[in-house]
Amino acid sequence: MSEVLTIRGLTKRFGGLVAVNGVDLRVEEKETVGIIGPNGSGKTTLFNLITGLFQPTAGQIVFMDRDVTSARPEQRVAAGMVRTFQLVSVFNSLRVWENLVLCVTRFDAAHSSIWKFMTSPATGGTIRDDCYGVLRLVGLEDKAGTMTSELSYGDKRLLEIAIALSLKPKLLLLDEPLSGLSDVEVVDILNLLRRIKRDVTIIIIEHKVSMIVDFVDRLCVMNEGRFVSEGEPSEVLRDPAVQKCYWGKEGTRGC
Amino acid sequence: MIYTLMYGLTIGAILYFIAIGLSLTFGTMRVTNFAHTITYTIGVYLLLTFVTQWKVHYFWAAIFAVLAVIPIGYLIERFIIRRLYGESLDYTFIATFAVSLIGVDVVKWIWGVQPKALGDPIRRYIELLGFTFPVYRLLIVGIAILLFFALQLFVRRTMVGKIIIAALEDREKVRCLGIKLDKYFSLVFVLGSALAALGGVLYAPITSVHPYMGTSILLLCFAVVIVGGMANLKGTFFAAFALGMVVAITARYWPPGAETMVFIVMAIVLIFRPIDV
Repeated sequence: MSEVLTIRGLTKRFGGLVAVNGVDLRVEEKETVGIIGPNGSGKTTLFNLITGLFQPTAGQIVFMDRDVTSARPEQRVAAGMVRTFQLVSVFNSLRVWENLVLCVTRFDAAHSSIWKFMTSPATGGTIRDDCYGVLRLVGLEDKAGTMTSELSYGDKRLLEIAIALSLKPKLLLLDEPLSGLSDVEVVDILNLLRRIKRDVTIIIIEHKVSMIVDFVDRLCVMNEGRFVSEGEPSEVLRDPAVQKCYWGKEGTRGC
Repeated sequence: MIYTLMYGLTIGAILYFIAIGLSLTFGTMRVTNFAHTITYTIGVYLLLTFVTQWKVHYFWAAIFAVLAVIPIGYLIERFIIRRLYGESLDYTFIATFAVSLIGVDVVKWIWGVQPKALGDPIRRYIELLGFTFPVYRLLIVGIAILLFFALQLFVRRTMVGKIIIAALEDREKVRCLGIKLDKYFSLVFVLGSALAALGGVLYAPITSVHPYMGTSILLLCFAVVIVGGMANLKGTFFAAFALGMVVAITARYWPPGAETMVFIVMAIVLIFRPIDV
């Protein structure tokens, strides 16, 4: 399998605070990697660096054999790197299906040039069908015409994932997709993620460790801006350093 | 009283033309654009030149004046505003205010400081319910209402419109959809500049034309944007007409306080609905 993402020595300083400290990470194609760690350990900052919302202080990010360290967020998305946010991020002032319009038109022939994109109606061609197709995948087709502001939090989370999927990602970064959800909604989202993980490389940040242990191929534990443990999930959770991080037990490595 | 209401509707329409650009610019780019006055004022002076010196018919002169400010708006966005994206509001305030002061001086240098006047270009009146109204004022109100519906169609039915709505709500999220916002920001800015010029060329025949005309009306337009809700396109429309009425009714009963009352209303709105920038 080829490497989709390679991170070398990634560092981010905010004044005197080192939020991410020399992180190395390699993610293979179709692999699912989980990142866990206490609050403030640097997980979301790492996502912001990978996706270009923050510029790193040092280090390198290679995505699909291309150095994207200084690329803008939109260039990374165009290359196939897509993310979701810790706080669910959808457009409440649009209808559910309209949230996907901006994404599916990227792949629509009728909107291939800037001029066509600017002048074509937003509902023309196969756009609506394409949007409904993605909504069907996540189980939101029957709410396609609803105003997004009227959706439940769980449905908004599904919609956010639908937006990400409509961008046809090669690498999908999910920032705490299970947070704030009921047990039923957690099951729905995990079932969806299990369906899509066959086709997409995924990095997932999650606090509900028990929920993702069976879902991820590899688990990385982050603390104070560094990876303190990495490997097969059940082994990582037995690592004394990880146990000390989460439960304060003595371990062999401090974290 | 009915004439006071007509006056209020006219002022409301003019405020709407100018405020909609401010609202869009602030909502999408987070820029408080004091330079808006310049495209407004230059549009008016170009109209004046076309009509009085080149003897162009008012209708065509108005169209040419609005079109002529488009490149000016683009240049201001490309070389000044674009450098301010993501910067503190203080910087955008200082930079755009400086542009507005430079613009006023340029207007004084080219056209002089003496106030000028254009007459009502239609000079026709219509009788409704026993009252006589100038057709030109009704036309201004009609164009404002048409513009409102046209903008609603634009933002709801076109891709650019949907991007603008999305950017009004969450710029970073739009960028994370792989959309480069710069060109849409340019478009929004130029559209706002052209609408300000449209407001200017429509208002010029019924007001006094002078280099500071933009500065005085801009403050009223900021009040409209605040009362209507930052980046709220429908709110801007209704706030413009509501504050137009406030100006007209106060001017009837207490002329010195006409504009002051607008800011009192704005202050009351801010007390009950503080803005979050």
